[in-house]
Amino acid sequence: MSAVSGLLPTRSGSGFGRLGRVAGSPLLRLIVKRVVMAIPILFGVSVLTFWVLSLIPGDPARAMLGMNATDQQVEALRQQYGLDKSGPARYWDWLTGALHGDLGISMVSSQSMSSMLGDRWAVTAELVVLSFIVSLGVAVPVALLAARWPGGLFDRVSMVCSMTGLAVANYVLALLLVLVFAVELGWLPAIGYVHISDGIGGNLKSMILPTLAMAIPLFCFYTRFLRGDIVDQMQGEDYVDTARAKGVGPWRVLWSHAFRNSSFGLITIVGLNIGTLVGGTVIIEQIFALPGLGQLLLQGVNTRDTVVVQDLVIIFAAIAVLANLLVDVLYAVLDPRIRYGSH
Amino acid sequence: MAVIDASSAQLESAVVAAGAKPRGRWRAWMRTWIPAGTVIFILAICFLGPTVLPIPGATGGDVLESGQGPFSPGHLLGTDSNGNDVLSRLLSGGQASLLIGISVNVIGIVIGGTIGAVSAYVGGLFDTIVMRLLDVLIAFPSLVLTLAVAQSLGPSKRNTIFALAFFSVPAVARIARSSTLRLREMPFMQAAQLCGSPTWRILLRHVAPNVAPQLISFAALGMGIVIVTEGALSFLGLGIPAPAPSWGNMIFDGQQSMSATPLEVVWPSIALLVTVLAFNQLGENLRARWSGR
Repeated sequence: MSAVSGLLPTRSGSGFGRLGRVAGSPLLRLIVKRVVMAIPILFGVSVLTFWVLSLIPGDPARAMLGMNATDQQVEALRQQYGLDKSGPARYWDWLTGALHGDLGISMVSSQSMSSMLGDRWAVTAELVVLSFIVSLGVAVPVALLAARWPGGLFDRVSMVCSMTGLAVANYVLALLLVLVFAVELGWLPAIGYVHISDGIGGNLKSMILPTLAMAIPLFCFYTRFLRGDIVDQMQGEDYVDTARAKGVGPWRVLWSHAFRNSSFGLITIVGLNIGTLVGGTVIIEQIFALPGLGQLLLQGVNTRDTVVVQDLVIIFAAIAVLANLLVDVLYAVLDPRIRYGSH
Repeated sequence: MAVIDASSAQLESAVVAAGAKPRGRWRAWMRTWIPAGTVIFILAICFLGPTVLPIPGATGGDVLESGQGPFSPGHLLGTDSNGNDVLSRLLSGGQASLLIGISVNVIGIVIGGTIGAVSAYVGGLFDTIVMRLLDVLIAFPSLVLTLAVAQSLGPSKRNTIFALAFFSVPAVARIARSSTLRLREMPFMQAAQLCGSPTWRILLRHVAPNVAPQLISFAALGMGIVIVTEGALSFLGLGIPAPAPSWGNMIFDGQQSMSATPLEVVWPSIALLVTVLAFNQLGENLRARWSGR
């Protein structure tokens, strides 16, 4: 690390003020350190995925063409996909391709991976972003209300509900929502996806149930975490007592003092969740027939399309790694102790 | 460091608080034993039920008896679309889920615990390498890695256990490592080292008993996660292969005819919910008890 910081001009004393301090070592050093740590993890993720998928017994080319194919056909396919090469050689081919933006060609549909990923990115991203907005948007007010009067009626009800909600598997919740809102009440479509270009209203309508199925367990998790953290802060922290002694109102202490501090923990939890959440899209997209990345992964698994599975597993893991990286950086940017290097 | 200080302070306050108020103690007792009792009940009924209770087998039902409602003669919860007894499938499915959950967590505690404790105790380069490798495993969203493993090994009970252990081991290893690091600074550990106890003896006699409570309470929480993920795998057709029942594939089967017979989805869902809830509560309360929160 010292080599990196040595390259950077340290301007803190030269009158650049805040900007100088931000560009100075602590924050940038932390960001560089996190990025450097993420690279070997991404490398390991891709190697492990390759290795796991090479455990498949038998010959994937033979499995794809079926028993009736001639040996020449199988051999041609093996050469086309580089299956005749050794594992490390195939990995090297994949890695150099991937770094140039070429993720290979599907073994089943013969389409290039990048064209297959195409629009699917947007569907999964929409689902994840909506789930975060809904879960956080509801969890913060509920947690604040619960923490305002700990042990009160609202607190108890919300804690019991969130405890139960945490124990519900998202696929069960999804089916339950379909049963109630699509089958019984008929308010919302049970499955299917309306593309955003066909009207934003229809698009959102088709996303309500999938979003709820993802957001409700998440909401329960955040509410419990935030409520517990805020209550701890309200009871034990000196700055809360100070604020109260100054005559700051209870809601203001809760919002601008306790919640502001708890939000750091919340960011960490959210970052850790992104991976799980993106993984959860696999089953939710399957249930609601949403044409996203998760659905493609499952298609790949069911058609034994090793290229698709391998690329998507690596993409999912990379999203999780990058999300954690982003959170670490965000954390550093937001926390003044790290920002000014006085930690 | 701050975390370590906080938890040891909590430990002390727990010692002081223990035996303070009789009403609080009764409550704590209830909080531990209601979920523990539920877990014991679920274990007992799933493992003993199919042999002790007068119910038909989980598979090989008569198609002519399919689709019977609850409380029909001989079938307390009715039959599914293949004519199999729902209650019987529920219990056998639970047996599979619990067996997988227990196996995965035992593997997690034994292998993950050993890796974490040894890594923290040995320290240095070994520790760094092990931790980086675990970082790689932890980076995978659990269902995604499990899907990849299940795809390459094919669906079966043993492969499901193997696939799920892939993410249980690194999680446990991390917990074991951080508790061992904390223990390493304690006087009794230094005393043991000064006495010349061999490393394996220190790990077995001093580290293991102190790390175990934390790992066990985590395993109770882990049971919930494993059972839900196993359900997801079976739901997707990559876990326990049909016709053998599991809660996941029962939910999937029920989903096909959900608008006509919603109860087929509801029964395994309730079983899943109650089981996960009981394990979650047990884990939370064990953790609260042992860390004195």
